[in-house]
Amino acid sequence: MSERLMPKYIRRSLLSLPIDDPQLGEQAFASWADAIILDFVRKPGTDWQKELRARMPAAIVAAARGGAEVFIRVNSDRAAAELDATVFSGIAGVVLKGVNGAEGIAQASARLDALEASRGIAAGSLEIDVEVNTAAGVWNSLEIARASRRFGTFTVNEPELCRNLGMHPEPVLEFEALEYIKSQLITVATSVGGQAQGMSYPLSLTQKNAGEEDLRKAVQRARDTGFKGAACHHASWIQVCNEGFRPSPGEIAYYRKVIAVFAEGLKRGMASVPIDGKMIDVPVDLRAKLYLEWANRAQARDDEKARAHEQ
Amino acid sequence: MTKNMNPRRSWMILPAHDSAAAMRIQEFKPDVAVLDLEYSVPPKSREFARSGLAALVRRIGDGEAEAFVRVDRDTRWADVRAAMHRGIKGIVFPGPETAAEVTELGELIAALERERGLEPGATELVLMLESAQGFWNADALAKASPRVTALGVGRIDLTMRLGPVPQGEFRLYRFLMTRALVAARMLGKQPLGALWRPGSRGGVASKDSTVKAAREGRLLGFTGCLCATPEQVAWVNEGFR
Repeated sequence: MSERLMPKYIRRSLLSLPIDDPQLGEQAFASWADAIILDFVRKPGTDWQKELRARMPAAIVAAARGGAEVFIRVNSDRAAAELDATVFSGIAGVVLKGVNGAEGIAQASARLDALEASRGIAAGSLEIDVEVNTAAGVWNSLEIARASRRFGTFTVNEPELCRNLGMHPEPVLEFEALEYIKSQLITVATSVGGQAQGMSYPLSLTQKNAGEEDLRKAVQRARDTGFKGAACHHASWIQVCNEGFRPSPGEIAYYRKVIAVFAEGLKRGMASVPIDGKMIDVPVDLRAKLYLEWANRAQARDDEKARAHEQ
Repeated sequence: MTKNMNPRRSWMILPAHDSAAAMRIQEFKPDVAVLDLEYSVPPKSREFARSGLAALVRRIGDGEAEAFVRVDRDTRWADVRAAMHRGIKGIVFPGPETAAEVTELGELIAALERERGLEPGATELVLMLESAQGFWNADALAKASPRVTALGVGRIDLTMRLGPVPQGEFRLYRFLMTRALVAARMLGKQPLGALWRPGSRGGVASKDSTVKAAREGRLLGFTGCLCATPEQVAWVNEGFR
């Protein structure tokens, strides 16, 4: 799979919901999240697999009501049993947590091959996303991303990753302790045609319900670092992520102007033209077109969700 | 990893040729005593330092600090031979670059344990990463011998082979620290390092700069570091508290 200049997925906001929530459908519908990740609990002393098999199809339908892509979060070390119990038609893929190497991905992928065949899901369609929360997941990230064509995204679970690394990031640090790890995961995911999701420091760690202005800035920093979306720990984050992990209205207006002025310049036989003191040449024109395409895709996703809400 | 509950925050470097200086551990009480055969020993005193090591290791090993010996990369075989005596806890290997080097040194240690009646497999290896190769291969190095118990960020001037000598903040250093930390945590080794800045290291370090370097090292996930001067022991212990 080749690198993409634009996000592979428009997946700006990811919301986790437990399937035990009696309001699951209402919450998913009201959230406007691009993606819902379903969590389940294995109840001890019960036939949890049988119970989940009975409940998952309805939970998936409920979670998808607002037009979100639906994923199931599965623990890598018990993936086979958990996938058997939870993978049904209607999901976009699974989020594997605690993956330490390529083997975990290969095994899960083989399991999905079988489940796709037996449960009426298009072969090879289910995605595997990886929630990174261990040192080994970071160190082996390239092998992990290359282990299956199903690989789609890395999501950085910063609180758990910091605990695993024995880090105690505090504001006295003048820099972001995970800076290089995030850079690595973004680069690795992109190198196989995927993408990475994460929030910028310190909200990524505190996960507090920041005011809208702080949140907006944090999302912009995350986007400009290379993240294409973030796990939303509060419902209030979702709208800001949906608006922030895409080109802004100001950028769209500017890039429209760039394209128009550059096209005019080309007609007059120029290789570069000035706008507001900046020189516009082919790469800037190309970026402008890509940003507009990105904006259009984000808008299309919003329209899709709006249609789901009308039904 | 360790039999006692020693937290191993401060690794005090002691010149192995100067037993009076080495015994200053009784005054400064580091968690770990690192008898040095590398930079703190002048080349003309190396052989003298090796000849006195057995007695020094025994004296220190019988006391409260754990006794490690830092060997010189270029003379590590002779240095390990001189160091392997009753009381030795481990060897600090500065600048390993390939897994084969680590495996080989581990095998030499095993042979000396047998030859000298030391507990088989008990002698630890601490790897101090000092080069681009070392940092890139950190996981392979740490897996190359079961004796490896710690991975450290070594001499900053050697890591600087990767770039010009910095005058301000050495940003590359943070990348190298991240790499060492991730490898160490992945493999269950102690991560050794502090966020030293130019002008805050060794003989020119102040109390404030040392405490700050150690404290920030701790926030970044490290749990101890080398102390180039005796005074740094207390400051490092404070920073890693």
